[in-house]
Amino acid sequence: MRYVFLLAWPMALVLAEDLERQATAMLAKQCVNCHNSSSRMGGLVLETRESALRGGFSGPALTPGDAGRSLLAARVAKGEMPPGNPLPADARRLLARWVESGASWTGRLLPAARKRAGKDWWSLQPLRRVDPEIPADAPASWTVSPIDRYLLAAMRERGLSPSPPAAKRTLARRVTYDLTGLPPTPEELDAFLRDDAPDAYERLVDRLLASPAYGERWARHWMDVIRFGESHGYEQNHLRPNAWPFRDYLIRSFNAGKPFDRMILEHLAGDVIAGGDPDVEVGVGFLVAGVHDTVGNQAEAPRRQQRADDLDDMIAAAGSAFLGLTVHCARCHDHKFDPIEQRDYYRMAAIFNGVVHGERELAAAAEKERHAAAREPWERALREVRERLAAIREAARPEVAAQREAILAAYRPPVSDRFTEERFAAVRAKWIRLRITGTPNNSPAAIDEMEVWEGSRNVALASAGARVSASSERRADDDPEAYAARHLIDGRFDRRWFAASGGPVEITIELAAPALVDRVSWSRDREGGFQGKFAGPPVTGYVVEASADGRAWRPVASAEGRLPYSPAEREALVLRAVLPEAQRREWETLEARRAELEDRLAKFPKLPVAYIGRAEQPREPVYLLKGGNVMDRAGVVTPASLSAFSFARFSLEEEQPEGERRVALARWLTDARNPLTPRVLANRIWHYHFGRGIVGTPSDFGFQGEAPSHPALLDYLALRLLAHGWRLKPLHREILLSQAYRQSSAFDEGKARVDAEARLLWRYPPQRLSAEAIRDAILAVSGALDRRMGGPGFHLFRYTVDNVATYYPLERFGPETFRRAVYQTAARSVRSELLGQYDCPDSSLPEPKRSVTTSPLQALALFNNSFVIEQAELLAGRLRKEAGADPARQVDWAFVLAFGRPAEPGERAAAAALVERHGLAAFCRALFNANEFIYVM
Amino acid sequence: MTRRKLFGDLCWGLPALAAMQLLAGGRVTPHHRPRARRVLQIFCPGGASHLDLWDYKPELEKRSGQPMPGVEKEVSFQGANGALMRSPWKFVRRGQCGKYITELLPHLGELADELAFVHSMTSRSNTHGPACVMMNTGFAVEGFPSAGAWVSYALGSENENLPAFVAIPDVRGIPPSGPANWTAGFLPAEHQGIAFHAAEPIRNLARPAGVSEAEDEAARVFLEQLNETHAARHPGAGDLRARMAAYALAARMQLSAPEVADLGAESEATHRLYGARDANPLLAAYARNCLLARRLLERGVRYVQLFCASRASGVDGLLNWDAHKTLQADYERHAPILDQPTAGLLRDLKARGLLQDTLVLWTTEFGRMPTHQEGTLGRDHNPDAFTVWMAGAGIRGGVSYGATDDFGRRAVDGVATIHDFWATVLDVLGLDHGRLTWYHNGLNRRLTDVHGHVLRPILA
Repeated sequence: MRYVFLLAWPMALVLAEDLERQATAMLAKQCVNCHNSSSRMGGLVLETRESALRGGFSGPALTPGDAGRSLLAARVAKGEMPPGNPLPADARRLLARWVESGASWTGRLLPAARKRAGKDWWSLQPLRRVDPEIPADAPASWTVSPIDRYLLAAMRERGLSPSPPAAKRTLARRVTYDLTGLPPTPEELDAFLRDDAPDAYERLVDRLLASPAYGERWARHWMDVIRFGESHGYEQNHLRPNAWPFRDYLIRSFNAGKPFDRMILEHLAGDVIAGGDPDVEVGVGFLVAGVHDTVGNQAEAPRRQQRADDLDDMIAAAGSAFLGLTVHCARCHDHKFDPIEQRDYYRMAAIFNGVVHGERELAAAAEKERHAAAREPWERALREVRERLAAIREAARPEVAAQREAILAAYRPPVSDRFTEERFAAVRAKWIRLRITGTPNNSPAAIDEMEVWEGSRNVALASAGARVSASSERRADDDPEAYAARHLIDGRFDRRWFAASGGPVEITIELAAPALVDRVSWSRDREGGFQGKFAGPPVTGYVVEASADGRAWRPVASAEGRLPYSPAEREALVLRAVLPEAQRREWETLEARRAELEDRLAKFPKLPVAYIGRAEQPREPVYLLKGGNVMDRAGVVTPASLSAFSFARFSLEEEQPEGERRVALARWLTDARNPLTPRVLANRIWHYHFGRGIVGTPSDFGFQGEAPSHPALLDYLALRLLAHGWRLKPLHREILLSQAYRQSSAFDEGKARVDAEARLLWRYPPQRLSAEAIRDAILAVSGALDRRMGGPGFHLFRYTVDNVATYYPLERFGPETFRRAVYQTAARSVRSELLGQYDCPDSSLPEPKRSVTTSPLQALALFNNSFVIEQAELLAGRLRKEAGADPARQVDWAFVLAFGRPAEPGERAAAAALVERHGLAAFCRALFNANEFIYVM
Repeated sequence: MTRRKLFGDLCWGLPALAAMQLLAGGRVTPHHRPRARRVLQIFCPGGASHLDLWDYKPELEKRSGQPMPGVEKEVSFQGANGALMRSPWKFVRRGQCGKYITELLPHLGELADELAFVHSMTSRSNTHGPACVMMNTGFAVEGFPSAGAWVSYALGSENENLPAFVAIPDVRGIPPSGPANWTAGFLPAEHQGIAFHAAEPIRNLARPAGVSEAEDEAARVFLEQLNETHAARHPGAGDLRARMAAYALAARMQLSAPEVADLGAESEATHRLYGARDANPLLAAYARNCLLARRLLERGVRYVQLFCASRASGVDGLLNWDAHKTLQADYERHAPILDQPTAGLLRDLKARGLLQDTLVLWTTEFGRMPTHQEGTLGRDHNPDAFTVWMAGAGIRGGVSYGATDDFGRRAVDGVATIHDFWATVLDVLGLDHGRLTWYHNGLNRRLTDVHGHVLRPILA
């Protein structure tokens, strides 16, 4: 507004002081938020005239008297600055005039209001232990654990007080779900209720932490954070059938209590440090756990884009999971809110530049050696055979050259994918059959059109009344006609018939009327349009047969006498013809031996593989991409730590082995001076125990993230984590033994008025079970849960591939799906009905904090889906077996199993009435849908 | 009858409906006066060719068979390109506005005066999956909310018995990247597009097989009692009440959704208008989906995303508009399926007065090359130019915005992005695209990323 007013004046009337005031005010408002002595975006500080004259990475920002040469005015004039928010034209003119007039500028500019984080941002500061004051009237139990003291102090500031301890029954249910994702069994619950020892709860926690179910529950949390999925995503979205070893690795690591600094090292560089141990190597699967576009692209820019997107996924995953920073926001420009330069982003890209998506053999060094040793004799034999064959071929070369043409001339031309024709003596026929006996590599046969000729008339056309059938036909689930036999005689070359698989197959054409047939022709790709991934070989073995009645068949032509389709076989044919008898026999023996050896090696047992990516020294360095545009490369960027961190910095040369880059990153992330990694990790643990982190944005500790509700507590927890040697279980234990965790969740209107969400933890906040816990609990209660751990996952979809993958929801659920949900094959953007509706992420992006939603579709998924109906039947069976025939006892037992308590008299009566009229299953179905079943208090 | 009509604008605030609002209500007060209340988005996956449908290029006709001037050897998605190739179909002047439209779409051509074309659209991806997701979410990577989810989040539902956002996939299958086109992404799951079409009902909607109506009802009543007792023991837990309301709502949806999908109530004339009785089963199936779309819009569904064609198959261009090889055969198959039913839907919306407050969008993920692909009679992908159109509430009919070069290779005049497109859509709905945000992983995310300018010239 001010500038508009200014322009309304005759220019000459604007006094010099006014100009300075206006211009510097604008700088303060628009520029200094990024270009100040703490943020130093682009190395530039615009606080004083001197610092502007000094400039930044691009050189001096200010040349008084020359607006064109002053980057400051020029970049504003071009609309490049401020990024994404170009200034109005009059403001740009004002700035230029001020520079032209000599850029008079006294005093220091300060940013008007904090709009971004600088290097002094809270989360980047060293961890500090500040002990809380203990209020004089504090309940004694709340003064024991430092955790409680921190919380109590914060409550007191707002006039709040904690709740009394939760009932034992409630607490057991809470902590069991929390640590294992499963309900306590009636026996476990009973044992705890009867245990009056003062350390009963402590022992319960210890038992749960030692349970293998702990790893299944907590690895699943971590899978959210690191976007672990088992399909590629994007258009084709094919499954990764060998991604599961990484999941097993996570579960194993959590159960073993692996220190997290070690875990981070394995995630980033497991392959580098493995020393032949596959259990360590598999950890690097983290880097390629995200999406990957598998569609081949011929154009340069999109190809580069695909690679840049792969790296972006790794940067985003590592930055958010370990540092809680949105490094990926600096892909196109310096981070708008956090002290992360665009160059930092590319430094990280350079760290990952050697990693590509794919499977890798995963076996112990000794096993690999054994495997190679076992193959070696066969490989050596094959090498020798090949050498001898080459020698024979070489010796016969002059003879082959001399006789080649003459020998080949004796044969008919080879078959072609474009057109193959057979002529024969005219035969009267009403049926013509093409019996296909061979294709190269036994690939499925494909034909775009087949003609049957009576003179110059194609009598095979559907339009001429002919009919066609094939003994095998490929089917696409969603379009049964896609590869149908009818395409064979539709007179067009745009659609093809495909056999369902390799092997013999027959095409039979019934003509409208008997015809005098003297020629048959067909092709796989008549117009040469099915190229690239759609290309394929023609039919190489066939017999054409004719019949007058459809029963008695007479062969009229075959592939006999044609030159072989494959050039190699054609050459072999010439060679055989020119070799002297003895040599020819040797040659044939050797050929047979070669085939045998190749077959033997092909059938050799393979080493196991896992989708954990491959690493190689990059062939090309990483460039800084202007505006993130893959076609706009600025200089080369080499691997280094983030510039906002002053401690333990590292910076590597392009020539250094790529594995060292990743090791360096891991060491830097877990350096004792790095405050962010332990803070972020401690907060995640807290987040999953209380449903909300001390920082409410667990993967964003930057300016856009939430401020910590209890900063001193967060630092305390981070320091404890370090003191425990990065082990999670002791930290869990300390948190779970706090009074805060053990208190009641009872509502209090007065306290809720002060703090409705209980962020200050005046009560334990009730939680809805996660999607996985709901499904697992249903199975556990029905008695169907299959506790087998590890191995390939089960599918909650039917999977088909026709170029792209299609996933169909299951209608019926067999016992193979009765394992814990963590073992469900997590295909991207495929949300299984029950899990997806209850907010299980689809793993396209990291999900550090699941939303908890309530919708009618959830109700439908839980009330009507056949899975729940079947489980209700199974629970009914269990009740009959375990509680006998008395409805009242059945109901009581069901309440204990599902809710961890017996039924109240009113509930028992209503339930018994329901059971009496509609059976046990109807009652069980209702139980699975009850709020009490899926909420933990 | 929508609730809005019954209670007026205040209804959202009625205390009795507070729990309901949690489930169905919009979260955003309109930023300015809305001109449309609901959206119908038609999406033709596969990259529907601007050059063969909407973008008339006389110069391309003239120079067909000649090399593209100034380009040596262009390599696009599938490989090398050959000479310029004219459209196999004539373009003819349609409507008062005299817009040139392909003769392949006679029915839609009749509506030329209703349509506002944007000829200068550009995308950031040349690959179907990312490009479809880009068109529908504003981002080429998966995981971001679809436009329909954003609108659901902003405006909520007008009918508590139906979802706010419905996706109607084609009977031939789902589009490239499938559900990522109607996902709620990081928005709450309730904003997810609910997928069903005329031949396939909403999943889990029906009472399970083998459960009688009486048993179903008894189980439900018992569940309500259980939840009531439980909620009474835990006062102050709003989400317990919300979940009870969700069950009540689901029960109502079980009644209302089959009603909306029952096309039997429509007159024979309406069926014929849409082509629902056509001998071509694919055309008739899409026509029934069009009819379903109208019934949903009529009943207050906020956003309907209607697909015409599906995914990539083992054969390009078979199941969708991806005419790499045999353009003529492909589009002779696809265009009639789109034409009459879509035109019928527009006419019907207009006749019923729904077009006054419904914004209609015709979209695809990218355009196609003016050249033929070497060795074929088809066109490769072209993210540098494509056409979309809008119609209905808030839109000036019979206008064209932006232009491509003489051959349709690139957008050159008024170059528009997908973010501009969605900025315009949100503007018509009374929303400022810069202010419709959701915090996720470090940023206040928007449908329009950090871009987008409203295309004012096509607004009424």
